[in-house]
Amino acid sequence: MKVVAVLIVVAALLIGAIPLFTDCESQGRAIKLPDGRLIAMKCHWTGRAELALALPIAAVGGLLAFSRRRELRRNLGALGIVLGAVAILVPVALIGVCASSDMLCNSVMQPALILLGTLVVAFSLVNVAWPGQPMEQAA
Amino acid sequence: MNLWRLARRNIAGSSFRSWVVFGCTLVVTGLALSTILLINGAQQSLQLAVRRLGADLMVVPQGTETRVETALLMGTPVQVWMPDTKVAEIATVPGVAQASPQLFLSSLKGAACCSASEMFMVAYDPQTDFTVTPWLKNNLGRGLKLGESIGGTSVFIPEGEQNIKLYGYYLTLRGNLEPTGTNLDQTMFLTWETAEDMAHKSYTQAEKPLIIPDNSISALLVKVAPGAKAHDVAEHILTDVPGVTPIESTNMFQTYRQQITGLLRAMTLLLSVTVILSLALISFIFAMAANERRREMGVLRALGATRGLVLRSLLAEAGLLALAGALPGILLSVFCVLLFRTLLIRILGVPFLVPSAGDVIVLVVGTLVMALVGVGLAALLPAWRISRLDPSIAMRE
Repeated sequence: MKVVAVLIVVAALLIGAIPLFTDCESQGRAIKLPDGRLIAMKCHWTGRAELALALPIAAVGGLLAFSRRRELRRNLGALGIVLGAVAILVPVALIGVCASSDMLCNSVMQPALILLGTLVVAFSLVNVAWPGQPMEQAA
Repeated sequence: MNLWRLARRNIAGSSFRSWVVFGCTLVVTGLALSTILLINGAQQSLQLAVRRLGADLMVVPQGTETRVETALLMGTPVQVWMPDTKVAEIATVPGVAQASPQLFLSSLKGAACCSASEMFMVAYDPQTDFTVTPWLKNNLGRGLKLGESIGGTSVFIPEGEQNIKLYGYYLTLRGNLEPTGTNLDQTMFLTWETAEDMAHKSYTQAEKPLIIPDNSISALLVKVAPGAKAHDVAEHILTDVPGVTPIESTNMFQTYRQQITGLLRAMTLLLSVTVILSLALISFIFAMAANERRREMGVLRALGATRGLVLRSLLAEAGLLALAGALPGILLSVFCVLLFRTLLIRILGVPFLVPSAGDVIVLVVGTLVMALVGVGLAALLPAWRISRLDPSIAMRE
């Protein structure tokens, strides 16, 4: 089960890191307003939201690695499922990414976040379904 | 204790070995299915692209065949021109039933006057067209009016806007064609009249004007008369009309067909090496496991277990591990290919269309069976050898 917890932490790190290198701002792209000002595209805000989500996901993974109580592992797993689902929803529906498939945020960032979010959900589901032995038996 | 429970206990008892078999199966099935999906998707995409063109022959200016094919498949903007007198010349070639000219245009890159950057545009002549017009009649009930267009499946109106702005000209999107997985999905189709209107107005509305040279066309789509052979007509065009190259639809996108064949060969080689190494490793692991479990199997036999039961328990262990590795491998590969298809198209340089659900199910079942049979065969010899061992000898060792 520790393997699964470590995988959740790795997925969280990638969820936080990938948008930093694949959003349009990192590629030097921004929306030019009629008055000449440049504003960030929505993929940038998706990246920020994912960074904020990566922290609790990593915390869930970390706690799962050290937790030996079945109930706690099950609850942490449930929390991981919710956080993983939100990590998928942010680039797909809640904020989104740029519409053009030529852009890196559309072709790399969004699919990578969907994949990683799904993996977080799957790994968390493993903890909910098989929370391991209770502490008394494991000891 | 039944067979499956025994197999599960054995798996849990040797976690390192089980993880290795699981990992090998996951990698091999994932790689195999991804390769098959990619090749299958690329081939389907090419076939659909040829069907979408809807012509028996495409006639392009001499020496521009590869550029035109690249524009149609991969979206590299192309500007090719030939005199429009070629239309009349080709129309008189024996075996030509219909000939319809097209203009290949593209929007500006990163310009404020274009809401889509470097979009490939095809202007057709509604009087002679036989490729787009039938689709329009079936789906729209009429042809396109001035200022209207239809797009490939990926053409969309930008968020918060009513029209697509190209060269400062507002185009109304009347519909989207079915996906082909090629750049035709990002291509805009408009009438010749609209293209000329756009070019005319671009001089005052766009950052750079849209230039359509006078009395010029980019390509000519040819429909062959019933009974005539496309190849014979192409040869006639080649000899009778100078300065043009006819491409038969069956030979269309040859460069990409060769690229896909090359990719198929490279992937098959890589896959074969991975499969052989993985099966050898799995076989070795099962041989080790069988060797270590001689005493255990001897006890099992002494307690009344038949040779068949010992053999089946080891094969069941192999089957469970194969299933456990193949399922996530299959899911991951399908998921990755679907999610990263745009990136894969760009990296591999071939078009790709997601295979139909039926095809995917067949491929998934095929890969699963391959994984089960492969791991089963790798475990068969060590399992058979240990099951043949005399219990007294096995326990003594």
